[in-house]
Amino acid sequence: MHYRDLVSVKLWFNLKSEANKTYLGYLWWLLEPILHVAVFFLVFEKLLQRGGENFLIFLLCGNIPYLWFSKTVSNASNSVLNGRGLITQVPIAKVFFPMMVVLTDLVKQMFVFIFFFLFLILYGQAAQSTWIYVPAIILVELLVIVAFAMLSAAITPFVPDLRHIIPTGLMLVMFGSGIFYSYKDVVSAEYQSWFMMNPMANLIENFRRVIIDGIPPDWFSLAIIALVSGLVIGLMLMLFQRLDTTYAKLVVQ
Amino acid sequence: MGQEKRLILENVNFKYSSRNTFFRRAHHQVLYDVSFSLYAGETLGVIGGNGSGKSSLLKVLSGIYQCDSGEIIRNYKKASLLALGIGFDIELTGRENILLSGILLGARRSEVESKLGEIIEFSELDEAMDEPLKTYSSGMRARLGFSIAISLESDLMLIDEVLSVGDNAFRLKAMAAMKERVLSHQSAVFVSHSLRQVEQLCDRTVWLEGGRVRAVDTTSSVISAYRAQQKELASTKS
Repeated sequence: MHYRDLVSVKLWFNLKSEANKTYLGYLWWLLEPILHVAVFFLVFEKLLQRGGENFLIFLLCGNIPYLWFSKTVSNASNSVLNGRGLITQVPIAKVFFPMMVVLTDLVKQMFVFIFFFLFLILYGQAAQSTWIYVPAIILVELLVIVAFAMLSAAITPFVPDLRHIIPTGLMLVMFGSGIFYSYKDVVSAEYQSWFMMNPMANLIENFRRVIIDGIPPDWFSLAIIALVSGLVIGLMLMLFQRLDTTYAKLVVQ
Repeated sequence: MGQEKRLILENVNFKYSSRNTFFRRAHHQVLYDVSFSLYAGETLGVIGGNGSGKSSLLKVLSGIYQCDSGEIIRNYKKASLLALGIGFDIELTGRENILLSGILLGARRSEVESKLGEIIEFSELDEAMDEPLKTYSSGMRARLGFSIAISLESDLMLIDEVLSVGDNAFRLKAMAAMKERVLSHQSAVFVSHSLRQVEQLCDRTVWLEGGRVRAVDTTSSVISAYRAQQKELASTKS
Protein backbone atom coordinates (compact mmCIF):
# COMPACT_ATOMS: atom_id res chain seq x y z
CA MET A 1 0.00 0.00 0.00
CA HIS A 2 1.33 3.43 -0.95
CA TYR A 3 0.20 5.38 2.07
CA ARG A 4 1.28 8.81 0.91
CA ASP A 5 -0.87 8.49 -2.22
CA LEU A 6 -3.71 7.03 -0.20
CA VAL A 7 -3.70 9.77 2.44
CA SER A 8 -3.53 12.63 -0.07
CA VAL A 9 -6.37 11.23 -2.16
CA LYS A 10 -8.51 10.15 0.75
CA LEU A 11 -8.15 13.41 2.66
CA TRP A 12 -9.55 15.52 -0.14
CA PHE A 13 -12.24 12.95 -1.02
CA ASN A 14 -13.36 12.62 2.62
CA LEU A 15 -13.85 16.37 2.94
CA LYS A 16 -15.76 16.48 -0.31
CA SER A 17 -17.86 13.41 0.40
CA GLU A 18 -18.83 14.67 3.84
CA ALA A 19 -19.76 18.11 2.49
CA ASN A 20 -21.91 16.53 -0.22
CA LYS A 21 -24.10 14.89 2.38
CA THR A 22 -25.60 18.17 3.62
CA TYR A 23 -27.22 21.21 1.98
CA LEU A 24 -24.81 23.69 3.52
CA GLY A 25 -21.76 21.50 2.89
CA TYR A 26 -18.43 23.17 3.67
CA LEU A 27 -20.19 25.96 5.59
CA TRP A 28 -20.69 23.50 8.44
CA TRP A 29 -16.97 23.66 9.21
CA LEU A 30 -17.66 27.14 10.60
CA LEU A 31 -21.34 26.88 11.49
CA GLU A 32 -20.88 24.01 13.90
CA PRO A 33 -18.43 25.80 16.24
CA ILE A 34 -20.46 29.02 15.91
CA LEU A 35 -23.60 27.20 17.09
CA HIS A 36 -21.75 25.66 20.04
CA VAL A 37 -20.36 29.01 21.12
CA ALA A 38 -23.76 30.65 20.65
CA VAL A 39 -25.36 28.16 23.06
CA PHE A 40 -22.73 28.79 25.74
CA PHE A 41 -22.95 32.51 25.23
CA LEU A 42 -26.74 32.46 25.53
CA VAL A 43 -26.71 30.36 28.69
CA PHE A 44 -23.88 32.01 30.62
CA GLU A 45 -24.02 35.61 29.47
CA LYS A 46 -27.76 36.09 29.00
CA LEU A 47 -29.58 33.49 31.13
CA LEU A 48 -27.27 33.14 34.11
CA GLN A 49 -25.66 36.58 33.71
CA ARG A 50 -22.36 35.04 34.70
CA GLY A 51 -20.33 36.14 31.73
CA GLY A 52 -17.99 38.77 32.99
CA GLU A 53 -15.81 41.16 31.08
CA ASN A 54 -15.20 40.46 27.37
CA PHE A 55 -16.96 37.10 27.82
CA LEU A 56 -17.43 36.30 24.13
CA ILE A 57 -13.70 36.35 23.37
CA PHE A 58 -12.93 34.55 26.63
CA LEU A 59 -15.43 31.84 25.66
CA LEU A 60 -14.10 31.52 22.10
CA CYS A 61 -10.54 31.02 23.38
CA GLY A 62 -11.80 28.08 25.44
CA ASN A 63 -14.43 26.57 23.21
CA ILE A 64 -12.59 26.52 19.89
CA PRO A 65 -9.62 24.46 21.13
CA TYR A 66 -11.95 22.20 23.15
CA LEU A 67 -14.28 21.49 20.22
CA TRP A 68 -11.31 20.50 18.07
CA PHE A 69 -10.14 18.05 20.74
CA SER A 70 -13.58 16.67 21.43
CA LYS A 71 -14.61 16.18 17.80
CA THR A 72 -11.40 14.47 16.78
CA VAL A 73 -11.21 12.13 19.77
CA SER A 74 -14.85 11.14 19.44
CA ASN A 75 -14.54 10.54 15.67
CA ALA A 76 -11.29 8.63 16.14
CA SER A 77 -12.75 6.33 18.79
CA ASN A 78 -15.05 4.81 16.18
CA SER A 79 -12.60 4.99 13.31
CA VAL A 80 -11.19 1.45 13.39
CA LEU A 81 -14.65 -0.07 13.73
CA ASN A 82 -15.96 2.14 10.95
CA GLY A 83 -13.07 0.98 8.78
CA ARG A 84 -14.40 -2.58 9.04
CA GLY A 85 -15.23 -2.69 5.32
CA LEU A 86 -11.65 -1.97 4.34
CA ILE A 87 -9.96 -3.89 7.15
CA THR A 88 -11.63 -7.16 6.16
CA GLN A 89 -10.86 -6.70 2.47
CA VAL A 90 -7.37 -5.28 2.13
CA PRO A 91 -4.21 -5.50 4.22
CA ILE A 92 -4.02 -2.00 5.64
CA ALA A 93 -2.20 -0.54 8.68
CA LYS A 94 -4.88 0.17 11.27
CA VAL A 95 -3.21 3.36 12.49
CA PHE A 96 -4.29 4.81 9.15
CA PHE A 97 -7.87 5.17 10.42
CA PRO A 98 -7.35 7.44 13.46
CA MET A 99 -4.69 9.41 11.56
CA MET A 100 -7.12 10.05 8.72
CA VAL A 101 -9.62 11.42 11.24
CA VAL A 102 -6.95 13.66 12.76
CA LEU A 103 -5.95 15.06 9.35
CA THR A 104 -9.51 15.61 8.15
CA ASP A 105 -10.42 17.46 11.33
CA LEU A 106 -7.13 19.39 11.24
CA VAL A 107 -7.94 20.84 7.82
CA LYS A 108 -11.36 21.99 9.04
CA GLN A 109 -9.89 23.37 12.24
CA MET A 110 -7.35 25.51 10.38
CA PHE A 111 -10.24 27.33 8.71
CA VAL A 112 -11.88 27.77 12.12
CA PHE A 113 -8.69 29.31 13.54
CA ILE A 114 -8.30 31.65 10.57
CA PHE A 115 -11.88 32.87 10.91
CA PHE A 116 -11.44 33.16 14.66
CA PHE A 117 -8.61 35.63 14.19
CA LEU A 118 -10.48 37.56 11.51
CA PHE A 119 -13.36 37.80 13.95
CA LEU A 120 -11.06 38.99 16.75
CA ILE A 121 -9.85 41.87 14.59
CA LEU A 122 -13.34 42.78 13.35
CA TYR A 123 -14.70 42.59 16.90
CA GLY A 124 -12.16 45.18 17.96
CA GLN A 125 -9.94 42.99 20.13
CA ALA A 126 -6.56 44.71 20.22
CA ALA A 127 -3.99 42.63 18.34
CA GLN A 128 -1.16 41.49 20.61
CA SER A 129 2.42 40.83 19.66
CA THR A 130 2.04 37.52 21.55
CA TRP A 131 -0.32 36.24 18.83
CA ILE A 132 2.78 34.94 17.09
CA TYR A 133 2.94 32.21 19.78
CA VAL A 134 -0.46 30.81 18.80
CA PRO A 135 0.90 28.35 16.18
CA ALA A 136 3.17 26.82 18.84
CA ILE A 137 0.22 26.21 21.16
CA ILE A 138 -1.83 24.80 18.26
CA LEU A 139 1.03 22.43 17.50
CA VAL A 140 1.16 21.18 21.11
CA GLU A 141 -2.61 20.72 21.08
CA LEU A 142 -2.28 18.72 17.86
CA LEU A 143 0.13 16.36 19.63
CA VAL A 144 -2.32 15.95 22.52
CA ILE A 145 -5.11 15.25 20.06
CA VAL A 146 -3.07 12.69 18.11
CA ALA A 147 -2.20 10.89 21.36
CA PHE A 148 -5.80 10.71 22.58
CA ALA A 149 -7.16 9.88 19.11
CA MET A 150 -4.77 6.94 18.80
CA LEU A 151 -5.51 5.80 22.33
CA SER A 152 -9.27 5.82 21.90
CA ALA A 153 -9.07 4.23 18.43
CA ALA A 154 -6.78 1.47 19.72
CA ILE A 155 -8.83 0.49 22.76
CA THR A 156 -12.41 0.79 21.50
CA PRO A 157 -12.27 -2.31 19.22
CA PHE A 158 -11.24 -4.39 22.26
CA VAL A 159 -13.81 -2.88 24.61
CA PRO A 160 -16.75 -1.68 22.48
CA ASP A 161 -18.47 -0.48 25.67
CA LEU A 162 -16.06 2.47 25.62
CA ARG A 163 -18.20 3.99 22.90
CA HIS A 164 -20.67 4.88 25.64
CA ILE A 165 -18.01 6.09 28.06
CA ILE A 166 -16.00 8.34 25.75
CA PRO A 167 -18.78 10.94 25.24
CA THR A 168 -19.13 11.22 29.03
CA GLY A 169 -15.37 11.55 29.38
CA LEU A 170 -15.36 14.33 26.80
CA MET A 171 -18.12 16.09 28.72
CA LEU A 172 -16.01 15.83 31.85
CA VAL A 173 -13.12 17.42 29.97
CA MET A 174 -15.47 20.17 28.87
CA PHE A 175 -16.51 21.01 32.44
CA GLY A 176 -13.03 20.47 33.80
CA SER A 177 -11.05 22.63 31.40
CA GLY A 178 -12.32 26.09 32.24
CA ILE A 179 -14.06 26.78 28.97
CA PHE A 180 -16.73 29.11 30.35
CA TYR A 181 -15.05 30.05 33.63
CA SER A 182 -11.61 31.11 34.75
CA TYR A 183 -10.06 28.45 36.94
CA LYS A 184 -8.55 31.17 39.12
CA ASP A 185 -12.06 32.24 40.21
CA VAL A 186 -13.47 28.75 40.70
CA VAL A 187 -10.75 26.35 41.81
CA SER A 188 -9.33 26.90 45.29
CA ALA A 189 -5.65 27.87 45.34
CA GLU A 190 -4.36 24.53 46.68
CA TYR A 191 -5.97 22.58 43.83
CA GLN A 192 -5.04 24.94 41.01
CA SER A 193 -1.81 23.13 40.16
CA TRP A 194 -3.76 19.85 39.98
CA PHE A 195 -6.30 21.47 37.69
CA MET A 196 -3.50 22.56 35.38
CA MET A 197 -2.35 18.94 35.02
CA ASN A 198 -5.30 18.54 32.66
CA PRO A 199 -3.61 19.22 29.30
CA MET A 200 -6.72 20.82 27.80
CA ALA A 201 -7.14 23.19 30.77
CA ASN A 202 -3.49 24.08 30.48
CA LEU A 203 -3.64 24.69 26.73
CA ILE A 204 -6.78 26.81 27.02
CA GLU A 205 -5.14 28.93 29.73
CA ASN A 206 -2.17 29.41 27.42
CA PHE A 207 -4.39 30.38 24.49
CA ARG A 208 -5.99 33.05 26.71
CA ARG A 209 -2.63 34.34 27.90
CA VAL A 210 -1.33 34.98 24.40
CA ILE A 211 -4.60 36.02 22.74
CA ILE A 212 -6.24 38.20 25.40
CA ASP A 213 -3.65 39.11 28.03
CA GLY A 214 -0.63 39.59 25.80
CA ILE A 215 1.57 37.38 28.00
CA PRO A 216 3.91 34.75 26.46
CA PRO A 217 2.83 31.14 27.03
CA ASP A 218 4.02 28.96 29.88
CA TRP A 219 6.74 27.23 27.84
CA PHE A 220 7.60 24.76 30.57
CA SER A 221 4.06 23.35 30.70
CA LEU A 222 3.83 23.23 26.92
CA ALA A 223 7.11 21.32 26.74
CA ILE A 224 5.93 18.76 29.31
CA ILE A 225 2.60 18.28 27.50
CA ALA A 226 4.39 17.86 24.16
CA LEU A 227 6.84 15.39 25.64
CA VAL A 228 4.21 13.20 27.31
CA SER A 229 2.05 13.27 24.18
CA GLY A 230 5.06 12.31 22.08
CA LEU A 231 5.72 9.35 24.37
CA VAL A 232 2.11 8.18 24.15
CA ILE A 233 2.18 8.52 20.35
CA GLY A 234 5.36 6.44 20.17
CA LEU A 235 3.87 3.74 22.37
CA MET A 236 0.64 3.68 20.39
CA LEU A 237 2.54 3.34 17.11
CA MET A 238 4.31 0.28 18.52
CA LEU A 239 1.02 -1.12 19.79
CA PHE A 240 -0.73 -0.64 16.45
CA GLN A 241 2.11 -2.36 14.68
CA ARG A 242 2.03 -5.36 17.01
CA LEU A 243 -1.73 -5.76 17.02
CA ASP A 244 -2.28 -5.01 13.35
CA THR A 245 -3.78 -8.34 12.30
CA THR A 246 -5.55 -8.79 15.63
CA TYR A 247 -7.79 -5.86 14.77
CA ALA A 248 -8.90 -7.59 11.57
CA LYS A 249 -10.24 -10.45 13.67
CA LEU A 250 -11.82 -8.13 16.23
CA VAL A 251 -13.82 -5.99 13.87
CA VAL A 252 -15.60 -8.92 12.19
CA GLN A 253 -17.32 -9.91 15.43
CA MET B 1 7.88 -30.17 -11.03
CA GLY B 2 11.14 -28.31 -11.05
CA GLN B 3 9.46 -24.93 -11.35
CA GLU B 4 9.90 -22.01 -9.00
CA LYS B 5 7.37 -21.80 -6.21
CA ARG B 6 5.63 -18.46 -5.67
CA LEU B 7 3.87 -19.46 -2.49
CA ILE B 8 4.33 -22.29 -0.03
CA LEU B 9 1.93 -23.10 2.79
CA GLU B 10 2.98 -25.51 5.50
CA ASN B 11 0.48 -26.69 8.13
CA VAL B 12 -1.37 -23.42 8.30
CA ASN B 13 -3.90 -23.18 11.11
CA PHE B 14 -6.23 -20.29 11.62
CA LYS B 15 -8.98 -19.58 14.11
CA TYR B 16 -11.31 -16.77 15.06
CA SER B 17 -12.26 -16.10 18.62
CA SER B 18 -15.44 -14.34 19.53
CA ARG B 19 -16.34 -12.57 22.70
CA ASN B 20 -19.25 -14.14 24.57
CA THR B 21 -19.11 -12.73 28.04
CA PHE B 22 -16.37 -10.91 29.88
CA PHE B 23 -14.12 -13.89 30.44
CA ARG B 24 -15.36 -16.52 28.06
CA ARG B 25 -14.20 -16.61 24.51
CA ALA B 26 -15.39 -19.06 21.91
CA HIS B 27 -12.90 -20.29 19.32
CA HIS B 28 -13.84 -21.31 15.84
CA GLN B 29 -11.06 -22.98 13.97
CA VAL B 30 -11.39 -22.28 10.27
CA LEU B 31 -8.25 -23.78 8.74
CA TYR B 32 -6.58 -27.02 9.88
CA ASP B 33 -3.05 -27.89 8.75
CA VAL B 34 -3.46 -26.51 5.28
CA SER B 35 -0.47 -27.20 3.06
CA PHE B 36 0.03 -26.62 -0.65
CA SER B 37 2.26 -24.72 -3.06
CA LEU B 38 1.66 -22.38 -5.92
CA TYR B 39 4.10 -22.50 -8.85
CA ALA B 40 5.10 -19.44 -10.85
CA GLY B 41 2.67 -18.73 -13.68
CA GLU B 42 0.11 -21.17 -12.41
CA THR B 43 -3.52 -20.52 -11.56
CA LEU B 44 -4.68 -22.48 -8.56
CA GLY B 45 -8.39 -22.94 -7.94
CA VAL B 46 -9.91 -23.27 -4.49
CA ILE B 47 -13.27 -25.01 -4.22
CA GLY B 48 -15.41 -26.21 -1.35
CA GLY B 49 -18.84 -25.69 0.17
CA ASN B 50 -19.98 -22.78 2.29
CA GLY B 51 -17.93 -22.46 5.45
CA SER B 52 -15.14 -24.65 4.13
CA GLY B 53 -12.61 -21.85 4.73
CA LYS B 54 -12.09 -20.61 1.16
CA SER B 55 -12.45 -16.92 1.87
CA SER B 56 -10.52 -17.10 5.13
CA LEU B 57 -7.70 -18.84 3.28
CA LEU B 58 -7.56 -16.02 0.78
CA LYS B 59 -7.50 -13.43 3.57
CA VAL B 60 -4.66 -15.24 5.31
CA LEU B 61 -2.76 -15.34 2.01
CA SER B 62 -3.29 -11.62 1.39
CA GLY B 63 -2.05 -10.71 4.87
CA ILE B 64 -5.36 -9.40 6.22
CA TYR B 65 -5.19 -12.13 8.85
CA GLN B 66 -2.16 -13.78 10.31
CA CYS B 67 -2.21 -17.56 10.65
CA ASP B 68 -2.05 -18.87 14.22
CA SER B 69 0.50 -21.55 13.45
CA GLY B 70 2.27 -23.00 10.46
CA GLU B 71 4.26 -21.15 7.87
CA ILE B 72 3.59 -19.19 4.70
CA ILE B 73 6.56 -18.56 2.46
CA ARG B 74 5.95 -15.73 0.07
CA ASN B 75 8.09 -15.56 -2.99
CA TYR B 76 6.86 -12.45 -4.74
CA LYS B 77 7.08 -8.70 -4.58
CA LYS B 78 3.51 -7.58 -4.88
CA ALA B 79 0.27 -9.43 -4.40
CA SER B 80 -3.13 -7.97 -4.97
CA LEU B 81 -6.46 -9.10 -3.72
CA LEU B 82 -9.08 -8.88 -6.40
CA ALA B 83 -12.32 -7.98 -4.74
CA LEU B 84 -14.94 -5.65 -6.09
CA GLY B 85 -15.69 -2.12 -5.01
CA ILE B 86 -13.09 -1.80 -2.27
CA GLY B 87 -13.31 1.60 -0.58
CA PHE B 88 -16.13 2.83 -2.82
CA ASP B 89 -17.74 6.02 -1.57
CA ILE B 90 -21.21 6.66 -3.00
CA GLU B 91 -20.87 10.45 -2.73
CA LEU B 92 -17.85 10.52 -5.07
CA THR B 93 -17.85 10.30 -8.85
CA GLY B 94 -16.95 7.17 -10.79
CA ARG B 95 -13.61 8.70 -11.74
CA GLU B 96 -12.75 9.53 -8.13
CA ASN B 97 -13.74 6.07 -6.98
CA ILE B 98 -11.42 4.52 -9.55
CA LEU B 99 -8.52 6.45 -8.07
CA LEU B 100 -9.41 5.61 -4.48
CA SER B 101 -10.13 1.96 -5.07
CA GLY B 102 -7.05 1.49 -7.24
CA ILE B 103 -4.77 2.86 -4.54
CA LEU B 104 -6.45 0.68 -1.91
CA LEU B 105 -5.80 -2.34 -4.12
CA GLY B 106 -2.10 -1.49 -3.85
CA ALA B 107 -1.39 0.61 -6.95
CA ARG B 108 0.39 3.96 -7.02
CA ARG B 109 -1.67 7.01 -7.78
CA SER B 110 0.30 7.60 -10.99
CA GLU B 111 -0.33 4.02 -12.11
CA VAL B 112 -4.07 4.33 -11.63
CA GLU B 113 -4.11 7.70 -13.39
CA SER B 114 -2.26 6.32 -16.40
CA LYS B 115 -4.76 3.46 -16.65
CA LEU B 116 -7.83 5.63 -16.15
CA GLY B 117 -8.78 5.61 -19.85
CA GLU B 118 -8.39 1.85 -20.10
CA ILE B 119 -10.49 1.26 -16.98
CA ILE B 120 -13.30 3.55 -18.12
CA GLU B 121 -13.33 1.97 -21.56
CA PHE B 122 -13.53 -1.55 -20.17
CA SER B 123 -16.36 -0.63 -17.79
CA GLU B 124 -18.41 0.91 -20.64
CA LEU B 125 -19.49 3.59 -18.18
CA ASP B 126 -17.88 6.67 -19.76
CA GLU B 127 -21.13 8.63 -19.74
CA ALA B 128 -21.68 8.09 -16.02
CA MET B 129 -18.04 8.72 -15.05
CA ASP B 130 -18.59 12.19 -13.61
CA GLU B 131 -21.80 11.31 -11.80
CA PRO B 132 -21.67 10.32 -8.13
CA LEU B 133 -21.67 6.60 -7.49
CA LYS B 134 -25.01 6.79 -5.68
CA THR B 135 -26.68 7.21 -9.07
CA TYR B 136 -25.22 3.88 -10.32
CA SER B 137 -27.14 0.62 -10.25
CA SER B 138 -25.53 -2.27 -8.38
CA GLY B 139 -24.64 -3.88 -11.70
CA MET B 140 -22.85 -0.71 -12.82
CA ARG B 141 -20.93 -0.55 -9.53
CA ALA B 142 -19.83 -4.15 -9.92
CA ARG B 143 -18.71 -3.47 -13.49
CA LEU B 144 -16.66 -0.50 -12.36
CA GLY B 145 -15.15 -2.57 -9.54
CA PHE B 146 -14.18 -5.38 -11.89
CA SER B 147 -12.67 -2.99 -14.43
CA ILE B 148 -10.42 -1.46 -11.76
CA ALA B 149 -9.34 -4.80 -10.37
CA ILE B 150 -8.50 -6.41 -13.71
CA SER B 151 -6.40 -3.49 -14.92
CA LEU B 152 -3.86 -3.47 -12.09
CA GLU B 153 -0.67 -5.46 -12.27
CA SER B 154 0.84 -7.71 -9.63
CA ASP B 155 3.01 -10.81 -9.26
CA LEU B 156 0.28 -12.73 -7.54
CA MET B 157 -3.44 -12.21 -7.93
CA LEU B 158 -5.79 -13.41 -5.23
CA ILE B 159 -9.25 -13.58 -6.72
CA ASP B 160 -12.44 -13.93 -4.69
CA GLU B 161 -15.73 -14.57 -6.52
CA VAL B 162 -15.54 -11.69 -8.93
CA LEU B 163 -16.78 -13.11 -12.18
CA SER B 164 -20.51 -13.10 -11.58
CA VAL B 165 -20.96 -9.40 -12.20
CA GLY B 166 -23.12 -7.32 -14.49
CA ASP B 167 -25.33 -8.53 -17.30
CA ASN B 168 -24.63 -11.52 -19.47
CA ALA B 169 -22.61 -9.63 -22.08
CA PHE B 170 -20.37 -8.10 -19.44
CA ARG B 171 -19.93 -11.45 -17.70
CA LEU B 172 -18.60 -12.96 -20.91
CA LYS B 173 -16.27 -10.01 -21.41
CA ALA B 174 -15.06 -10.26 -17.80
CA MET B 175 -14.45 -13.98 -18.15
CA ALA B 176 -12.50 -13.42 -21.38
CA ALA B 177 -10.36 -10.72 -19.76
CA MET B 178 -9.70 -12.93 -16.75
CA LYS B 179 -8.78 -15.85 -19.00
CA GLU B 180 -6.36 -13.74 -21.00
CA ARG B 181 -4.79 -12.56 -17.78
CA VAL B 182 -4.36 -15.87 -15.98
CA LEU B 183 -3.47 -17.98 -19.00
CA SER B 184 -0.44 -15.74 -19.56
CA HIS B 185 2.33 -15.78 -16.97
CA GLN B 186 0.18 -14.55 -14.13
CA SER B 187 0.30 -16.50 -10.87
CA ALA B 188 -3.10 -16.53 -9.26
CA VAL B 189 -5.25 -18.12 -6.60
CA PHE B 190 -8.87 -18.27 -7.67
CA VAL B 191 -11.70 -18.88 -5.23
CA SER B 192 -15.10 -19.62 -6.67
CA HIS B 193 -18.38 -21.43 -6.21
CA SER B 194 -18.61 -21.95 -9.94
CA LEU B 195 -16.95 -25.22 -10.90
CA ARG B 196 -17.22 -24.27 -14.55
CA GLN B 197 -15.16 -21.12 -14.03
CA VAL B 198 -12.55 -23.08 -12.11
CA GLU B 199 -12.38 -25.62 -14.92
CA GLN B 200 -11.83 -22.89 -17.46
CA LEU B 201 -9.21 -20.92 -15.54
CA CYS B 202 -7.25 -23.16 -13.22
CA ASP B 203 -4.36 -25.53 -13.82
CA ARG B 204 -4.62 -27.20 -10.45
CA THR B 205 -7.24 -27.07 -7.74
CA VAL B 206 -7.39 -27.32 -3.96
CA TRP B 207 -10.53 -28.86 -2.46
CA LEU B 208 -11.23 -27.60 1.03
CA GLU B 209 -13.65 -29.39 3.32
CA GLY B 210 -14.33 -28.19 6.84
CA GLY B 211 -11.09 -26.23 6.80
CA ARG B 212 -8.95 -29.20 5.77
CA VAL B 213 -7.38 -29.91 2.41
CA ARG B 214 -9.29 -32.86 0.99
CA ALA B 215 -7.37 -32.94 -2.29
CA VAL B 216 -4.81 -30.99 -4.33
CA ASP B 217 -4.38 -32.12 -7.90
CA THR B 218 -5.08 -31.24 -11.51
CA THR B 219 -8.36 -29.39 -11.86
CA SER B 220 -10.11 -32.14 -13.84
CA SER B 221 -9.41 -34.88 -11.32
CA VAL B 222 -10.26 -32.76 -8.26
CA ILE B 223 -13.48 -31.53 -9.79
CA SER B 224 -14.64 -34.98 -10.85
CA ALA B 225 -13.98 -36.28 -7.34
CA TYR B 226 -15.85 -33.28 -5.90
CA ARG B 227 -18.79 -33.85 -8.24
CA ALA B 228 -18.92 -37.53 -7.34
CA GLN B 229 -19.06 -36.67 -3.65
CA GLN B 230 -21.77 -34.05 -4.19
CA LYS B 231 -23.85 -36.61 -6.09
CA GLU B 232 -23.40 -39.17 -3.33
CA LEU B 233 -24.45 -36.63 -0.68
CA ALA B 234 -27.51 -35.72 -2.70
CA SER B 235 -28.56 -39.36 -3.10
CA THR B 236 -28.12 -40.25 0.59
CA LYS B 237 -30.23 -37.23 1.55
CA SER B 238 -33.16 -38.16 -0.67
